[in-house]
Amino acid sequence: MPKVISIHSYRGGTGKSNFTANIAATIALQGKRVGVVDTDVPSQGIHNLFCLEPEQTTHTLNSYLWGEISIEEAAYDVSRNIGLSDDAGGRLYLVPSSVKADSIARILRDGYDVRLMNDGFRKLVKSLQLDYLFIDTHPGLSKETFLSIAISHVLILILRPDKQDYQGTAVTMDVAKQLKVRKLLLAINKVYGQLNPDALKQKVEETYGEKVAGVFPLSEEVVQLASEGVFCVRYPEHPISQTFRQVAAQIDQG
Amino acid sequence: MSEAGADREKLDQTPNQAADQAADQSSGGDLQSLASSITAMASPFRNYLNDLHEKYRSVDEGTVADYIPELAEANPGWFGICVVTTDGQLFDVGDCDQLFTIQSMSKALTYGMALEDHGREYVNSKVSNEPTGEAFNSIVLDEETNRPYNPMVNAGAIATTDLIKGKDGTARLKRMLSMFERYTGRSHDICMPVFLSEKSSGFRNRAIAYLMLNFGMVSDRIDETLDLYFQQCSILVNAKDIAMISATLANGGVNPATQVRALDEHYVQDVISVMLSCGMYDASGDWAYRVGIPAKSGVGGGILATVPGKLGIGTFSPPLDVKGNSVRGIKVCEDLSKDFGLHLFNVASPEHNLQDWLSGNTDIDHW
Repeated sequence: MPKVISIHSYRGGTGKSNFTANIAATIALQGKRVGVVDTDVPSQGIHNLFCLEPEQTTHTLNSYLWGEISIEEAAYDVSRNIGLSDDAGGRLYLVPSSVKADSIARILRDGYDVRLMNDGFRKLVKSLQLDYLFIDTHPGLSKETFLSIAISHVLILILRPDKQDYQGTAVTMDVAKQLKVRKLLLAINKVYGQLNPDALKQKVEETYGEKVAGVFPLSEEVVQLASEGVFCVRYPEHPISQTFRQVAAQIDQG
Repeated sequence: MSEAGADREKLDQTPNQAADQAADQSSGGDLQSLASSITAMASPFRNYLNDLHEKYRSVDEGTVADYIPELAEANPGWFGICVVTTDGQLFDVGDCDQLFTIQSMSKALTYGMALEDHGREYVNSKVSNEPTGEAFNSIVLDEETNRPYNPMVNAGAIATTDLIKGKDGTARLKRMLSMFERYTGRSHDICMPVFLSEKSSGFRNRAIAYLMLNFGMVSDRIDETLDLYFQQCSILVNAKDIAMISATLANGGVNPATQVRALDEHYVQDVISVMLSCGMYDASGDWAYRVGIPAKSGVGGGILATVPGKLGIGTFSPPLDVKGNSVRGIKVCEDLSKDFGLHLFNVASPEHNLQDWLSGNTDIDHW
């Protein structure tokens, strides 16, 4: 059964796109067929991590939402860009959002029928025979976020250890409960050195009553690589990459 | 990272307090209503309807009604499916905002209003409840009683429209429009070109009316009543309105979204049972047998189908079969009836459990 996973954070800058790229690549490298949709229409960017240049992406999620193309036409096979050979079982597809200011403006001005997202995701899963579909969302709460939470099998909330993120995460969890989310995982990112990761994990789990799937350090290595490649593809043996594999395992549990 | 040096202890306090503060500010109504509309968008049932829409979109059988030019202008590709449950959940796919004329679907509602105005006994004395087996526009009355056969064929519908009370044509029309508003929850306009066209070319309906006048089955305000009849057929609706009307009937006469009563509870059974026996023109017997959902179609391409106590279906697709029923609409109702066991007399377990699919039960793999 295909799994749909939404990656969300209440505020921007939590490292959501980076997290999505890494977890998606981790699972594709394990031999699965994985799709990633960048629904962060106003501030997209995940295509950079998969080395997909804007010039190559003539078809985008935007064109699908305007009814110009079918969603499969906007799906780019980026398997090679994460080192997957053509005969490997695993595949990684990306549906990018447009980077053109004009296209973004049009979406913001005219809006779109949110239900098209739902219909498009299903179509994509079916026609590309995906095992996993990751939805990279726009930060904060909006109709789009509500919808992606409602259709997901797993919702992963990313937060940093600061007060604003704690508050926002609580709000998002309220919403997720209303939307009857089936499984929720927390991931804490950008944890600086002085904090004890285990103590933090325990504290957050106690507070929210939900599982923390992984604690990620504020890492210079990741920052250096950010926006020009997927970390866990370059450094598969690094502890951070191992944590991503743990998160991947927890997506499948239960 | 700002204030990276914030001390451990202070930070450790934060998640709890912050989460509590946020929880205090969360409350019921608005979040719940938005969440419920989003859940409906993503529900397995809506995905099911979406698959149905995809499955039958390419069907190109049937022809668009063309007895007046205004109807012939309809796009044969228009296709909308809407379902409203008796607790007010709405699911729609396709062209559900496209307006079209209600045509014969109005007959069921006018019948209900005539019953409210005069009671069952009197209305029965003017219109019988027998299926005709003849075409919808046949000029035929019961030989013994001179009554038209049923309120769903033109003759019977004109006779029921005649029964609508009001001091003049305007007053009667206003009463009728406000009844439609109670059913759908929004006000409706009349498509003037369709009305004028029907009026200027409706010789057959005029003949039927005069035949009934001859037998004393209708009052002598023939022109006023025919105007009202053509107006009720020219009311503009969309598939959502049709589904809401169906759901109102399914919900015992109370609109499930507004909670406004549209029809006296005593007459709900009259309207629905006549739909079951006569609603699909001369295909009604086969419909009752195979699909088993009381329904009324219109030549504008709409079908309203009512599953009592459960839900209302509204479909819209202009191409009609030879009997005057929407081809795609029929297929949609057939599938819904079969897959969810909606046939009135079905007792076998259906393939899909309706409640599970509506509520988004997690066991269903609709991906």
